[in-house]
Amino acid sequence: MKPRGGSSVLRLALPIKVLIQRFAFLFLILAAFALMLLSKAETSAIEKVSNVVVDIFAPLMDGLSQPAAAISDAVSAVRQLANIHAENDRLRRENARLLAWQETSRRLMAQNQALMSLLEYKPDPRAKYIAARVIGDSGGAFVRSMLINSGRRDGLTKGQAAMTGHGLAGRVTSAGLRSARILLITDINSRVPVIVQASRDRAILAGDNSQLPRLVFLPSNASVNSGDIVVTSGHGGIFPAGLPIGRIIRSDDGVVRVNPFVRFEKLEFVRVIDYASVLPETSGQGGPHEVALE
Amino acid sequence: MNPTLAQRLDRAARNVVPAMLGVLLVLLSTIPFYIPGYGPMAANLVLMAVFYWSIHRPDLLSPVTVFLIGLLQDVLVGMPPGMNAFVLLLVRTLAVSQGRVFRGRSFIILWWGFGIVALASAFIVWALSAMYVFTLLDPLPGLFQAGMTTALFPFLAGLFTLMQQKLLSQV
Repeated sequence: MKPRGGSSVLRLALPIKVLIQRFAFLFLILAAFALMLLSKAETSAIEKVSNVVVDIFAPLMDGLSQPAAAISDAVSAVRQLANIHAENDRLRRENARLLAWQETSRRLMAQNQALMSLLEYKPDPRAKYIAARVIGDSGGAFVRSMLINSGRRDGLTKGQAAMTGHGLAGRVTSAGLRSARILLITDINSRVPVIVQASRDRAILAGDNSQLPRLVFLPSNASVNSGDIVVTSGHGGIFPAGLPIGRIIRSDDGVVRVNPFVRFEKLEFVRVIDYASVLPETSGQGGPHEVALE
Repeated sequence: MNPTLAQRLDRAARNVVPAMLGVLLVLLSTIPFYIPGYGPMAANLVLMAVFYWSIHRPDLLSPVTVFLIGLLQDVLVGMPPGMNAFVLLLVRTLAVSQGRVFRGRSFIILWWGFGIVALASAFIVWALSAMYVFTLLDPLPGLFQAGMTTALFPFLAGLFTLMQQKLLSQV
């Protein structure tokens, strides 16, 4: 196709437009890669901008997630209605058992109090709880995180533990003004210092994106059994010690995994523990705060 | 004949339909559905939109728009920023260059094409994610996600076609 006579401007303009489009594509591709690299280098600027973007969209996500929650609640209500008799029976038996436990617990508490006063033991400071609703489930195949509708203005900061009534769900990895992201303990980037309750063996709970995070750095002479309960050890100073996480599953190939108490697919609300703010002033510099926590 | 202000506003509003749709789909894809195992393999609604509109109306979905939609998806999903932006840009370029193959042909061909694109996208995201965390990741969730995305494509494509006929036939 030959341009015939006429405006040389047009003849020039077309290739330039094409050129700009080409460059725009290349530029955007490079920008995408630059962003990925920058975020890997943990630039706080990127995190700040992301937080602002999430904050802007948080109210919308909050609104959108409510019908889904309502439907889910309705479905489970109907399901519960179906086996209400069996459930009632089970609860009655459980209640009887728990009453006996309550008696024991009262006795032990009194005894504990007496012994503590004998030893002049200083108890851990009481932690503060912040409740939040899950507004965004991760739609990524290779990330396990969630967005919640509380942020810095509610007292959330990076590093705090997020719990449900059953156990530890994850920790706050970034906090905007009114929203925050929780990295679940199943995510490949999650590492939590833990202790096996029965044997007192220390280890690190490492997520690998599967439902069952692995227990690594377990001492070679550790004697752990399937069913043992794993709790946070409190090392590192961010998480309080003793938060329940899950039960150990020993597989045949020697890998020790933990089955979390939290059912992540049913996660609707979390309690974020504001623990650091009630800790006594520590000199910091990343040193171990074991003295303050144990 | 110069269009009146109202006409121009109307046209502008219609022009941003695919972009707004993209943002809406990003938000929809982050909703927690409380279905066991659904989260990690939730269908990638945005991928469907970018593929569809890049074939049928590339003029309404510029590379910059696609980049920004991808970036929003990254930020809200919690993926490394830039990853979806990169994948969606590739999908747009491919869809625009191969648009003639799909336009006016039977839907089955479009569906096949999309299946391949969804699988390729899942592979790229898997490879980039693995590089990002320096670990060999289990590719299975990505495969499931690609399958789910492909399976749901006809429903959204039908919706997009309807939108294209009702809203965008004059622009």
